[in-house]
Amino acid sequence: MSGLILPRRTLLAAGLAMPFVKTAAAQAGEVIIRNPGGVYDDVMRKYVYDPFTQATGIKVTAVAATAAKLLAMFRANNVELDVIDAGDSILEQLRRQNALAPLDYGNWRWTKPDDIPAEVRLPTRAANMLYGSVLAYSKEAFPDGRHPKSWAEFWDATKFPGPRSLADMATGNPYLEFALLADGVPKDKLYPIDIDRAFRAMGRIRPQIRKFWDTGALSAQMMADKEVVLAGLWNGRVQVLMDRGAPLGIEWNENMIEVQAVGIFKDAKNVAGGQKLIDFMLQPEAQAGYCRDLTYGPTNKQAFALLPAEQLTRMPGSPASADKGFYKNIAWWEDNRDRVNRQWSRWILG
Amino acid sequence: MPLGRLGALLLLAPTLLLMLLIFVGPIGWFLSAALGELGSLSEIWEEAVATLGSRTILAAILNTNWIAFLVTLVVLALGYPLAYALTRAKGLAFTAILVCILLPYFTSVIVRTYAWMVLLGRNGLINQALLGLGVIQQPLELMYNRTGVIIGMTYVLLPYMILTLYSAMKAVDPRLLQAAEGMGASPFEVFRKVFFPLTLHGVVAGALIVFILGVGFFITPALMGGPGDIMIAMLIEREIELTQNWPVAALMTLVLLAVTLSLYAVYHRFSAERPGLAA
Repeated sequence: MSGLILPRRTLLAAGLAMPFVKTAAAQAGEVIIRNPGGVYDDVMRKYVYDPFTQATGIKVTAVAATAAKLLAMFRANNVELDVIDAGDSILEQLRRQNALAPLDYGNWRWTKPDDIPAEVRLPTRAANMLYGSVLAYSKEAFPDGRHPKSWAEFWDATKFPGPRSLADMATGNPYLEFALLADGVPKDKLYPIDIDRAFRAMGRIRPQIRKFWDTGALSAQMMADKEVVLAGLWNGRVQVLMDRGAPLGIEWNENMIEVQAVGIFKDAKNVAGGQKLIDFMLQPEAQAGYCRDLTYGPTNKQAFALLPAEQLTRMPGSPASADKGFYKNIAWWEDNRDRVNRQWSRWILG
Repeated sequence: MPLGRLGALLLLAPTLLLMLLIFVGPIGWFLSAALGELGSLSEIWEEAVATLGSRTILAAILNTNWIAFLVTLVVLALGYPLAYALTRAKGLAFTAILVCILLPYFTSVIVRTYAWMVLLGRNGLINQALLGLGVIQQPLELMYNRTGVIIGMTYVLLPYMILTLYSAMKAVDPRLLQAAEGMGASPFEVFRKVFFPLTLHGVVAGALIVFILGVGFFITPALMGGPGDIMIAMLIEREIELTQNWPVAALMTLVLLAVTLSLYAVYHRFSAERPGLAA
């Protein structure tokens, strides 16, 4: 056994008996939030956490935690943070464990609940932004608009040769949807996913896959280093490279819209503070600010008016790209991830 | 002054306690909690048969052992001459070699792996240099495949082999080599008939350490491997992180533990018979 995997396993196994970053002495004056970290954290601090502290006097502390850690925390009856800002699959898992508090929409002060679409304004979680999985291409390999414009074309290695990358099972959501689209399934008939059919289609593109990416960072690096000329990945990752001048492009056709959302642990020490923070985070000005910096799509329809039109064209879920895309069905994934995981392992090792 | 059994035990006690507390305890807790989720023994048995009997797990175990085996061979081939050079080096040269071997060891595995990715990429330094020199016409595929995994793992594991071999080589009595030489053995014969057999236990120990560490590798194959380079630790990680299927993760962990412990048993046996082998 290697020391490499041991610490994580030991940590998990210890049932998180160990104090979490700081033992939440949780005075009413502090909200502890889990977020994905990195640039995301910087941007949220600028547009949400610090202004929130100024407005309310409540301090916001951000921490990191994986899905497994969040679940373990709840199971061990040792919830040491208040708000979870995560992909909605993590929040859906927590909801199914009955770990989340109902959101107090009736008492919102900063955000009008009706400005958030009902599909993403749920009893225990609300979407704070949308991101998308898109088809990204190298403009050097495919200049003058001669790039694949659908997943069927992405799958066509004769017409569009070159190494590719798609999401690995380790991300939780390999792109079975894109495989089905490539196989001719219309985008409103994707769910429930025909897993066998999707894997058969995956098998056709596999020889062209240099590597399945398991982190957003790797997907971006492979595009930047020209290891691959085509990839399915998160729009924000490619956009950052394009903004720095990399010769890359995004095809928005058949983009998959995914949801980032916020929820509160029902056993949190500062549920009330968490309610306020979420209310504050979803108001139009805050959303316009962080969505502009992260190139993700706002969920508050008032936020669109605050963003330049040019910006909107590259935001998932915006009026400009929404009709080309489809929403990922997270409930299906929660019901079937275990099965897909096993099939993936069999397929990849077979 | 000979230390009694009791004295030895007392000296070991703090370490043993610590191991129980931070290693054996949590593993025991994890296994019982995870397998406890399944309920009765018969359910555990059913899950074990289903999980461990599946073609996926068998393929992953084979893959894992095969990769670890290849890495062990490469590490041994590179480590043996290096360790020998280390025993011969003096003063500044000795320090320089040692620092080169140990310094990377103190850097995070992720950082080192990313560094390799910069070197080995399709447009990486190595390919650009070779293309520039006209040695190759097409970039070599050095990464995102089995080659990448082996290069990355070899690099991480090399110090373990070198240090183990070094201590074995240092223990060889130089007078034995002189005696062999004095009796007319050629340098190659001295090596083959005297030096190598005397360092064989170091080879076995180093190989087992490298292999045992190798079967548990996770980060390097995940970052540098291709689609099919799946090792068992990666499957365990997915069962824990992704599907929160702790019972299955626990069973896979047991397999890894069993592989490791049985190798350790082999090693123990082997080292107990050492006098016979080294003679």
